[in-house]
Amino acid sequence: MSGPLTIVASAAKMDFRSKFAVVGPLMRLAVIMLTNLFSMYFFFLLASYIGKSDVTPDYVIIGNMIQSIATSTLYSTSNISNMEKHTGTLEPLLTAPSRMFYTFFGKSIFGILNGIVSVTVSISFAAFVFGVDFSSANLSVIAVIGLLTCLSLTGMGMAVGSVGLYLRTSSIIASLFSYIGLLVCGVNFPVSYLPGWLQIFSYAMPLTYAVDATRMAVGGATLSAVSQPLMIMIVLGLVYLIISWFIFNLFEKISRKTGKIGSF
Amino acid sequence: MNARAVTAGFKQQAIQFFADPQWIIPSLISPFLMTMVMIFISSGGTAIEGPVVLQAVLGGGVLGMWASSLFSSSSSVSFDRINGTFEPMLGSGTRIIYVLAGRSLWSTLIGLMNAFIVFAIAELMFGTGLSLDRPFLFFLTVLMTMLSLSTVGLLISSLFVLTRKGGTIATVLEYPLYVFSGALIPISLLPGWMHPISYVLGPSWGVDAMKYAALPVHEGLMGMSIVADIAICMLLSIVMIVISYFVMLYVERKVLEYGTATRY
Repeated sequence: MSGPLTIVASAAKMDFRSKFAVVGPLMRLAVIMLTNLFSMYFFFLLASYIGKSDVTPDYVIIGNMIQSIATSTLYSTSNISNMEKHTGTLEPLLTAPSRMFYTFFGKSIFGILNGIVSVTVSISFAAFVFGVDFSSANLSVIAVIGLLTCLSLTGMGMAVGSVGLYLRTSSIIASLFSYIGLLVCGVNFPVSYLPGWLQIFSYAMPLTYAVDATRMAVGGATLSAVSQPLMIMIVLGLVYLIISWFIFNLFEKISRKTGKIGSF
Repeated sequence: MNARAVTAGFKQQAIQFFADPQWIIPSLISPFLMTMVMIFISSGGTAIEGPVVLQAVLGGGVLGMWASSLFSSSSSVSFDRINGTFEPMLGSGTRIIYVLAGRSLWSTLIGLMNAFIVFAIAELMFGTGLSLDRPFLFFLTVLMTMLSLSTVGLLISSLFVLTRKGGTIATVLEYPLYVFSGALIPISLLPGWMHPISYVLGPSWGVDAMKYAALPVHEGLMGMSIVADIAICMLLSIVMIVISYFVMLYVERKVLEYGTATRY
């Protein structure tokens, strides 16, 4: 087991170095804060403007609080293959004797930490800027949901990123999956508003269950009360991670068989 | 004015776009999803038509133009840095502002296309009809708004010459213009202290003019008429160009003074 762990640790270390080489931690934190603040404010205003009784400003703020994990963790993990292509390092990675799955998983750790920071910042904004009432909320349960969502969306991001290996510009699917939650995951309005065929996508997204569980926890639900959506979310995250393992292996085999490294 | 440099910048941006046209898709995803979110929140899951849909579609078009402009302006200099063409460009005898202006003109064209793609998809999905009150005037105001957005993009790309963090900063700038331009949410809904920020942005006046041309009844920004909207939008756009010009003069002088092309 030490082999894969070494690769994961080494990839994570390299990724941290390169991420902070251009944009330092303080600048990154400022970007997370400003992006979350403005995106939450935009949807807060939108809900205030439309004035629906079941889609209140608090409703969209809680949804966007969790959506912030998608725009950080899911995007950065899905976008790894795009970044490797962009910097010309995908080909060396493919020809290296290490399994690509482990390298990518190591690089996704930055996204997980980014997601944790992002959701913490968003919860603070929800409470102190947008005035969401957390007096009856179960904060420890919200923290558990936030952490599990980061992990679960990493699984999904790995699957999206593995498919992205095939594409010339995989930032398209990275952008699509990180923003689609705004529409299909109950972030800004109940999933029941969507047409039936679109709801199928909602229930295949871990974020839908994360948003649902968070709304319950803000209302004071205990861990056992939110266990069902959390379990579904974890299972979905694992399924996506396993799928990504098979896809990475497939592309490794194709590239070695055909010699067409990086273009399939 | 170096027309040849502007033309060359335009042509080079066009060639890069056609080499990989799928780059337009990421800048379409977020604005289109915003439009859909507004329509779904308003509809509550049932079919709707009328001013809300029209406003959502118009707003979505503006967001599409802004995303395209921002994306192009941030990537235009960042790609030069990645490709190693930034230093030779700075070292050439041509003023860089003209190259960037040519690139901005191309992004104007793509931004317009972006807006019309949003309009077309909304028409196909919702049958909005886009029953415009004054179609020709509407087209002119869309063009003017896009040009105005491009001047903001030009200023941003001039400032991005000063930093290697352009791509990171660009992500922060996406939502503020969504909020301040009044594209989806009326400026009157913002707190009073934010109004001046909206008023100094040319696109806010362009959006107001668009609404005048599209809707049968519209209460203008600060009670201004459509003629005043157009005049202010054009004036502010010229101011943006002048500021961009002086920013670039400053950068070029620094480069000549210290001989450091990418670090200041």
